[in-house]
Amino acid sequence: MPSFQISITPSRREAARFVTRVRRSIQKALAEENKKNGLTQSDIARTIGVHRSVINREIRGYKDITLGRVAELAHAMGRKPVLELPEVLPRPGANTEPRASVKISSTDDTAELRQEPTQQRAA
Amino acid sequence: MATVVELARQGKLFKLDPMLDSHQQEFRVLYASPRLKKWIDETLPNLGSTWNIELAPAEQLDGFMATYASDEPLMFGQGFKPLNHLGQGVWELKTADLRVFGWFSARDWFIGHAADTTDRIKQHNLYHGYAGEVVRFRTHLDLDEPKFVPGDDPNAVVSNFDYP
Repeated sequence: MPSFQISITPSRREAARFVTRVRRSIQKALAEENKKNGLTQSDIARTIGVHRSVINREIRGYKDITLGRVAELAHAMGRKPVLELPEVLPRPGANTEPRASVKISSTDDTAELRQEPTQQRAA
Repeated sequence: MATVVELARQGKLFKLDPMLDSHQQEFRVLYASPRLKKWIDETLPNLGSTWNIELAPAEQLDGFMATYASDEPLMFGQGFKPLNHLGQGVWELKTADLRVFGWFSARDWFIGHAADTTDRIKQHNLYHGYAGEVVRFRTHLDLDEPKFVPGDDPNAVVSNFDYP
């Protein structure tokens, strides 16, 4: 069956997915805090000291988010961002060179950015 | 008449490989018409972001596909709507710079026919035109009935749409 892929380099694919996951982690945390404590984008904007539209564009993906802003957003939501870069080790049975896959997880009071080894898919 | 998979085997549709990690299961799928495939292959790589953001439109679509194809929720709370119903079972998939137009032949099975930049679509008011092109393509496609999931409920067209 014919299939095709979006033509980008592996490193840019990793970047695209990392940026997407970071933004989704923030969206998820905000949704949880909104449900739990009624926290809004306006509240976050006031805490950080910027206009709400700036926060809105950053969270929706219409504006880049700096690492510093990730921390500010996490702080405003009562959470803590954590970045880990563990060594990538080949998995048993892997038949190609491993590549890095950055994974984000978050809990009620933490947001972790963790790098995990993955197996390169067969070409 | 044929299924989506049979149409793909006939070369009338093309499956977009989301390039998930080896430990991930593909839960939602996207097939492209020849027109959309050509656009993804030839036009998309040359597009830049009109928002001047880090991720180019091709990278935005790749990030979207990684989420869409997985079993993760597509939407968190209000205001981050990744898909939108345009009428007659036509949906648009959204990134900051892109809109992909198509329909769901079944839950989690999207068939895309056209795509363009958000900027151009809004500037020239192309939503109605693209929706009409999707309907015409769908009508003439030799796909088993029912050809699309009716209604405007995102939960009817994708599983795990909203974060609980």
